[in-house]
Amino acid sequence: MKSIFKKIAIGLGALLLITQANALFAQQAPTPQDTLNDRITALEQQVFQQKRGEDHFMVAGLLTFGLVTNKTKTTIGGVSTTSRTSTFGNADTYEFSPMLLWRHGDKFLMEFEPSFNNDGLGVNWADVSYFAAPGLIIRGGYLVIPFGIYNKRLAAGWIDKLATDPIGLDIPAGTDYGFEVEGGLPLGDMKWSYDLAVTNGMQLLPDGELQGIGITDNNINKTFSGRLAILPLSNSALELGVSALTGKVGDSGAPNADIKTNMYAVDLNYIQAIKPFSVNIKAQYNVVNVDRQNYINPNDSTQTYGYNNHSTSGFAQISLRPAFLDNGLKNFELAYRYANYTSPAMSAWGAKTDQSTIGLAYWINWRTVLKVSREIVNTNGTVNTAIFPDAGISRSNSWFIQFSIQL
Amino acid sequence: MKTLNKKNLMGIVVILVGILIFLSINGCFVSEKVAAKSGAQLWAENCQRCHNMPSPATFSPDQWETVGMHMQTRALLTKDERGKNR
Repeated sequence: MKSIFKKIAIGLGALLLITQANALFAQQAPTPQDTLNDRITALEQQVFQQKRGEDHFMVAGLLTFGLVTNKTKTTIGGVSTTSRTSTFGNADTYEFSPMLLWRHGDKFLMEFEPSFNNDGLGVNWADVSYFAAPGLIIRGGYLVIPFGIYNKRLAAGWIDKLATDPIGLDIPAGTDYGFEVEGGLPLGDMKWSYDLAVTNGMQLLPDGELQGIGITDNNINKTFSGRLAILPLSNSALELGVSALTGKVGDSGAPNADIKTNMYAVDLNYIQAIKPFSVNIKAQYNVVNVDRQNYINPNDSTQTYGYNNHSTSGFAQISLRPAFLDNGLKNFELAYRYANYTSPAMSAWGAKTDQSTIGLAYWINWRTVLKVSREIVNTNGTVNTAIFPDAGISRSNSWFIQFSIQL
Repeated sequence: MKTLNKKNLMGIVVILVGILIFLSINGCFVSEKVAAKSGAQLWAENCQRCHNMPSPATFSPDQWETVGMHMQTRALLTKDERGKNR
């Protein structure tokens, strides 16, 4: 009996030894199939860990910083005064605006751009876009209204070839609360685009100026704005756009409740290679009309005054860049812009203003630029001097050194 | 007469919006010449309308997807232009 147990124990021991030996052999010399399986498993884990999600978040935006020196000579009633300033940062030369972009799949995009500038903290836009169809985007929130081309596409410091904005394009207000539908569509060799918005609109101030009303509307009427554009060349080098805006600007219940504004704009953007140069021409012209009404004389509330509340503004810009050269000169770009703003004569802010700006930009890379610009602004006041102080004539001469980068 | 004009105006607006939505959903035709363009060519043509061209290496694929959607809203690119620029 004892010998039987002994034999069984020896047998089990031998079996265990053989098993361990096999395992050891297997570890030391894996088969090609085992190696392949292990490699596939490792790759699967790696792919799973690096798989692109449906959602994505990124930060873009811009930073602009610079120096502006200014000398302004003002002449009123034959008496001239001169003032000089030199400062780092003003509305045109300082801005830090990180833009936050959230993408949910390929249907939703949220955009939020807070901005810090000399006015403190603000928000440039905060909206959500739904990509409903190939040529249909629906947007809601605080959005850039579709009017002209400058505010929506060209105002960023790292895009603008000059250090300042053209005068007079801040009417209408660039952003507003509301909804927007837009899209770009092919049309044979051409393309066209539409951009329509309904927003809270603007408010008429006691002196006849307009300001964006913000998140709480001053009346139940909504403002409609829109831009239609066509790109008639197959290489998209030319874009022509027309814009319109209409809406009531009076306060509900007030005597001026039915006063409305109608605005129109045309714009152009053309880029052409004339080797070794790349030539870019941009232009926009705005017309702003507000229904005629009488305004209260600020010096005597029993009296009123009236004027034709009609203003125009526009700019034309040309830039040359030797982009086809193989040396460092290709990073320089020379730009010139003429802008004009004519506000209503006989109003409190009536003036004819010409703005000429010339500048040289050095592109450190595609989104980083160092600019030197010189700007001369001539203003002839056309206010109603029977009521308001004479604004006289002024000539402003400024130099700008500006650095701008896209984040 | 004033009411009639308003109705006419509203009718024109409704028709225009209807045409826009119809065209948007169904899309317009694109010529063979344009359809044959590469993503690189479309990318060059569209970026330069407003700013310099970025290098393809500037952004990751995920970032390009997000940037493409943002630029479609700004420059009103067609869907094909956005798709080929990825």
